[in-house]
Amino acid sequence: MSAREPAEPARPPRVLVVDDEPQIVRALKVVLREAGFEAVPAETGSEALDLAAVRPPDAAIVDLVLPDLDGIALTRTLREWSEMPILVLSAVGEEEQKVRALEAGADDYITKPFGARELVARLNAALRRAARGEEEPRIVVDGLEIDLAARVVRRDGEPVHLTPIEFDLLRVLVRNRGRLMTHRKLLAEVWGAEYVDDIQPLRTHIARLRAKIEPDDDAGAGGVGGPRLIVTDPGVGYRFSE
Amino acid sequence: MGVPSPLGFLLSAEPPPRRVGAIVALVAVALSTLIVYPLAHVAPVVSLSVVYVPAVLIVSVAWGAWLGLATAVLSAAALNFFHLPPVRHFTLRHSGDWVALGTFLVVSVVASSVAEVTRARTRDAVERRQEADLAAEMARLLLRADNLAEALPTAAARVAQTLDLSSAAIEMDTVEGDDRRIAFPLREGSNRLGTLLVGAGTSEAKLRRLQERIVPALEALLSAALEREALLGGVVETASLRRADAVKTALLRAVSHDLRSPLTAISAAGEAVGSPAISPEERAEMAAVIQEEAKRLARLVDNLLDLSRLEAGAAEPRSEWTSVEELIRAAVSEVGGGPDAFSLSIDRELPPVSVDPVQMERAFVNVLENARRHSGGHPVSVRARAVRRLAGAPATLSPEARDVGAAPRARTSGDRVIVRVVDRGPGIPPAQLERVFEPFYRAGTVTSGHRGSGLGLAIARGFTEANAGSLHVESLPGQGATFVFELPLEASSAQVVPDEPSTGTAQTAEIPVSSTGGRELPT
Repeated sequence: MSAREPAEPARPPRVLVVDDEPQIVRALKVVLREAGFEAVPAETGSEALDLAAVRPPDAAIVDLVLPDLDGIALTRTLREWSEMPILVLSAVGEEEQKVRALEAGADDYITKPFGARELVARLNAALRRAARGEEEPRIVVDGLEIDLAARVVRRDGEPVHLTPIEFDLLRVLVRNRGRLMTHRKLLAEVWGAEYVDDIQPLRTHIARLRAKIEPDDDAGAGGVGGPRLIVTDPGVGYRFSE
Repeated sequence: MGVPSPLGFLLSAEPPPRRVGAIVALVAVALSTLIVYPLAHVAPVVSLSVVYVPAVLIVSVAWGAWLGLATAVLSAAALNFFHLPPVRHFTLRHSGDWVALGTFLVVSVVASSVAEVTRARTRDAVERRQEADLAAEMARLLLRADNLAEALPTAAARVAQTLDLSSAAIEMDTVEGDDRRIAFPLREGSNRLGTLLVGAGTSEAKLRRLQERIVPALEALLSAALEREALLGGVVETASLRRADAVKTALLRAVSHDLRSPLTAISAAGEAVGSPAISPEERAEMAAVIQEEAKRLARLVDNLLDLSRLEAGAAEPRSEWTSVEELIRAAVSEVGGGPDAFSLSIDRELPPVSVDPVQMERAFVNVLENARRHSGGHPVSVRARAVRRLAGAPATLSPEARDVGAAPRARTSGDRVIVRVVDRGPGIPPAQLERVFEPFYRAGTVTSGHRGSGLGLAIARGFTEANAGSLHVESLPGQGATFVFELPLEASSAQVVPDEPSTGTAQTAEIPVSSTGGRELPT
């Protein structure tokens, strides 16, 4: 995997940290600086919007519970004008909240309490993804070669036959590598907006796709290690590993 | 009700007394004898024995076969004595007259017996109908009652009315009869359900009727009613369990949030401390974060334990004479927040109160912490003073304690210590004034700082009320909130506390100087 190359190595990436728990913000500020970021703290949603408007940050970490507008609403507002990666902090532990945040435009979520390392790793992954852009016609991951332009997929050099639906599904997942794609988002992109509630067929297609593309040692049928390429986030969606 | 016949009164369930029967028999026989005189001119006298038959029948029907038979014999004797020759003698001239009289007697006996059977059947039918009505009425009373115990007196009254008893009662317990009451045990199988009690003067026939027909019906109904009540109780219990479950779910969610936030801060700060590159100042700051958040976690655990104790009713206060000032100062120092966080104004001569110091300190800590959190950096003012009711004067509160948008509540009257905690935060909308004391309720918006667990105020009120005090809040939105503690000063406190001369103050007349009296006024 290619390491992220900041466009201007002199300037550390600015990360907006929106959380009304002052202690968490204080700790994260130090943690992020140690990891090579500059943290911009905000206690409320409106303060976050002001700060982001004055100097657009490179990424945002948003707590779901804020005193004024909640994290979901803040995510939606930020998304209206910014493509920056947004990570949602959730203490609620409820899948529904996470799904709503992801559908509002968040790239990923992380559940409190989390390790600082995990947060930094997720943040880096999201920034890499943002830097990578859309144009990546050919991807090789874990012995799987995907040529999106030619619509050809090879596992260990052998061509893999995919149905059109399976290929579209794979393409959406691969284009958003590392990003958690909710069921609804996948359904909307592959089948169309009117199918967003039919989760069962999605599960079936994911299972078939896994059987064809996952490495044989721990097959898509759910071997000991579970699927490696298409990872399930239970109750939320799927993510194509980086 | 009633027997469909002109002579129906004769068939009443309880026959008139025998004395009446004897008189009726005599009169009827005398009348019949008189009627025979004019008839004797148109018909053979011996055939006129038929004139006596109605008398025999009436008496038989009303008073039974034996009195009927006696009437028949009397009739035969009267006919013989007054009308059959030789008149005025109990002898008979014609032997055929003996046959006629014998035939009359036989017919009378048969008629009496038939009448007696009819009578018995009719009485039976009437009784059964009454009992059927009674059973229907009892079923309505007992099976549709919201509260079985309340329905029992009415049901007993209906039994007494139907059987014309002097008194009747149904008890749910095992009650022994005594010289005033006769007890009928009510059972279902070997289970004792209760007791039917009737007055001791009840006749043998009614007792038999009660035992044979009323008691079994009552047993069946009572058993069904008890079962129904148990089922209803089950429904109620299920509902309350469901409510408890909802509370538990809310608790889990709140706890999950409140535990995770400090854990996140501790975890992140811990990681930062471990990093070699951070400055000593930052290292100290991270250590402070860890300590503060650990304290917060500990407080949450305390609160949860307190709440569960309060909800389990296990918060029995261990009262002792306690200085309110000491309680407040201890609470202020526990809440912390710097020297300017609180401004205290405590009456110099505050008498001690009889409370559990641990519980009341928790109550003050929770309210002070809540006030500081919502005060937006402004100092929280804490004022404590005693309010005494002068002899004969109505209970009044100091003017500032008058409700300002306070919800209605039971107010402590009499002598008491009032502690007011005033913050300058955003205030509480009127609709939320009482809700802030519900567990897990968090009012409105928070301007800064971390949110509370939503448990503190519920616990504060729980402990205050456990100590015979009250806690309420007064607020107008935008003008801050005032939490008001009222702790009763027991009448005995004046005797327990050593009596020292008191100078008194504007609010306090005749207040004994407390052990804390004469302290320096707080900042």
